[in-house]
Amino acid sequence: MLEIIDLHKRYGDVVALDGCTFEVRPGRMLGFLGPNGAGKTTAMRSIFGLVRPDAGEVRWKGEPVIPETRLRFGYMPEQRGLYPKMKVHDQLVYMGRIHGMTKKDAAAAADHWLEVLGLTERRNSPTETLSHGNQQRVQLAAALIHDAELLVLDEPLSGLDPIGVDTMAEILRSQARAGKAVVFSSHQLDLVEDLCDDVAIINRGRIVVSGNVKQLKDAAPIRHLELEIDGPVDEILSSLDGVRSAEVVDGRHVIVVDATTDVRQVLAEAERSGVVRHFVYSTPSLTDLFREAVA
Amino acid sequence: MRGLRAVGLVALREIKERGRSRAYILSTILTLVLLGGAIVVPQAIGGGATTYTIGVVGEGGAEIVETADSLSVGSAEDPDEADRYEVQVFEDVASAEAALEAGEVEAVIVDGQELIAGPVGAFGGSVVERYLQEAAGTRRVQEMVASNEEAAEVIELLSSSPLETRRVGGADEEEQALRSLAAFAGLVLMYIAILTYGAWMLSGVTEEKTNRVVEVLLSTLRPWHILGGKLLGIGALGIIQMTLLIAVGGAAVVLTGAFEVPSVPIDLLVALIGWFVLGFLLYAIIYGAAGSLVSRMEDAQSAAAPLTIVALVGYFFSFAALNDPTGNVAVIGTYIPFSAPYVAPIRLAIGEISAWEMALAVVITAASIAVLVLLAGRVYAGGLLRYGGRVKWLEAFRSAE
Repeated sequence: MLEIIDLHKRYGDVVALDGCTFEVRPGRMLGFLGPNGAGKTTAMRSIFGLVRPDAGEVRWKGEPVIPETRLRFGYMPEQRGLYPKMKVHDQLVYMGRIHGMTKKDAAAAADHWLEVLGLTERRNSPTETLSHGNQQRVQLAAALIHDAELLVLDEPLSGLDPIGVDTMAEILRSQARAGKAVVFSSHQLDLVEDLCDDVAIINRGRIVVSGNVKQLKDAAPIRHLELEIDGPVDEILSSLDGVRSAEVVDGRHVIVVDATTDVRQVLAEAERSGVVRHFVYSTPSLTDLFREAVA
Repeated sequence: MRGLRAVGLVALREIKERGRSRAYILSTILTLVLLGGAIVVPQAIGGGATTYTIGVVGEGGAEIVETADSLSVGSAEDPDEADRYEVQVFEDVASAEAALEAGEVEAVIVDGQELIAGPVGAFGGSVVERYLQEAAGTRRVQEMVASNEEAAEVIELLSSSPLETRRVGGADEEEQALRSLAAFAGLVLMYIAILTYGAWMLSGVTEEKTNRVVEVLLSTLRPWHILGGKLLGIGALGIIQMTLLIAVGGAAVVLTGAFEVPSVPIDLLVALIGWFVLGFLLYAIIYGAAGSLVSRMEDAQSAAAPLTIVALVGYFFSFAALNDPTGNVAVIGTYIPFSAPYVAPIRLAIGEISAWEMALAVVITAASIAVLVLLAGRVYAGGLLRYGGRVKWLEAFRSAE
């Protein structure tokens, strides 16, 4: 388990981390969310010693992280970094070897990942000749090559087309299934909601929400209600308690109510007064939780 | 153990990737071709004796050409390889001028009074022209003194060195000339090497920062692994290139017989190589640190400009040492780490440095390198992950762990 414990970091007057604390568990995927400038990259860099926190600690399996520990970590930085002129396969072998692999193992692992990512034909191409999406795949492979126990990926999905996103998501899922601890940052909240077991939302250097995605949604104090019927609707809605907001989008009523509000009454009345075309009662989306958390 | 392996991996990557890059291979080949050519071509073209035909019209010309011929033979080390001058007589000026224009003769002397020559070259008149003028002068003096014994004596005194010279210390003259030449060539090579490989360090470090690969590297490697590996890798490539250069240059010299090579001055060779390693390390470490301060290649040169000036000043120190190997500048230059790699080999070449002076210079420079590894290594570590404008040296130093 990776433990980020009470990290603080200031750059002059700017507070980047202000008591940031969260955990990443083996076999689980954590979505690390936050608005721009909230401290995501600083926190991730702290794991690799690229940022020296003013206070706080990073622990892996209960031990403080030292350089040798990081040989078992894989990192995909926000700003992609590869040698442009180096051949793809050579590049991956090098990345494997600086993580302590033998030449033979690194070469085999490089072949494996190029195969998985559909890049076998480009193995001897200079990296700079690959498309943006393919370079990103190579970057992912560079983080995976040494079969790391912990994967830290800063915005791995940004700039990828939908197919690329699917490939990336599938690989991350299988890594988590294989028992790896996976943490990645992203702004694509719907994807994170599908993909991640856990989330941690950071704002102004502090974790404001963290935990299991489903539990967080269940525990939210609000619910979404969508209603569309042929017939009068105003009367039905006026009897509803705990309405936080209500709007009409293309003839469909979208209402945010308290979690405690009983909506069965609304459905019953709606069925009496006309044909119900659309009725959805749901926990809020991750996007809603995010907005709420960083507001 | 882990540290050494990491340094080795970085060095190996540097050698493999840079060594097979088109830039390295082409620059090596080009330098070798130029160097070989510079030695072989003048030998091939200018080698051996030339016979110049001089047109003569009227009286007095033939004697001047004969004098030029005997002057040339008399002043040459090997009479068989001296340039020769021979006469071709013309009836009138017009036919002689025609022959000159056709290139059949090098010059024409009319009545022993006038010299007709071709167009002026870039450096004034030709060698032939100067030789003929000198011969004409000699001829006139000879005519004058033929009737005056006292004048003959004065002339002889003026043209000789009345004091007999005997030198104390140093190698014999021929070997000394070779040592000086070797030292001078080594010096120029050293200067070129320090700037060239320093520039590789500089751009190599900046490149890794620019394309952000350094962040991936630093997630598992320590800064000193990368800096040390780069030094080793580029140093090795530099030594390979320099060795090739020296070998090809030496082979060309020996094969063409451009210079007599009686014996290779081993002590000087060892000193040059040793000082090359020290000089390269000293400068390359700082170049590497300078490279870590900037985020764009365009800024790299300006970040390193102060260091390049230091290298140049160090280089100039060595000229002072060439002129006066025991003078104050030479002695001080021996103990300043930035000039020692230039000055110490020069003083050794001339034979004006004692063993303890040399040892002290090596110790001072090596100690400076050790200190620089720590200081520059820290600047490097601090500068690498700071993007945006140019990072200040002190700021980078402070921000490192």
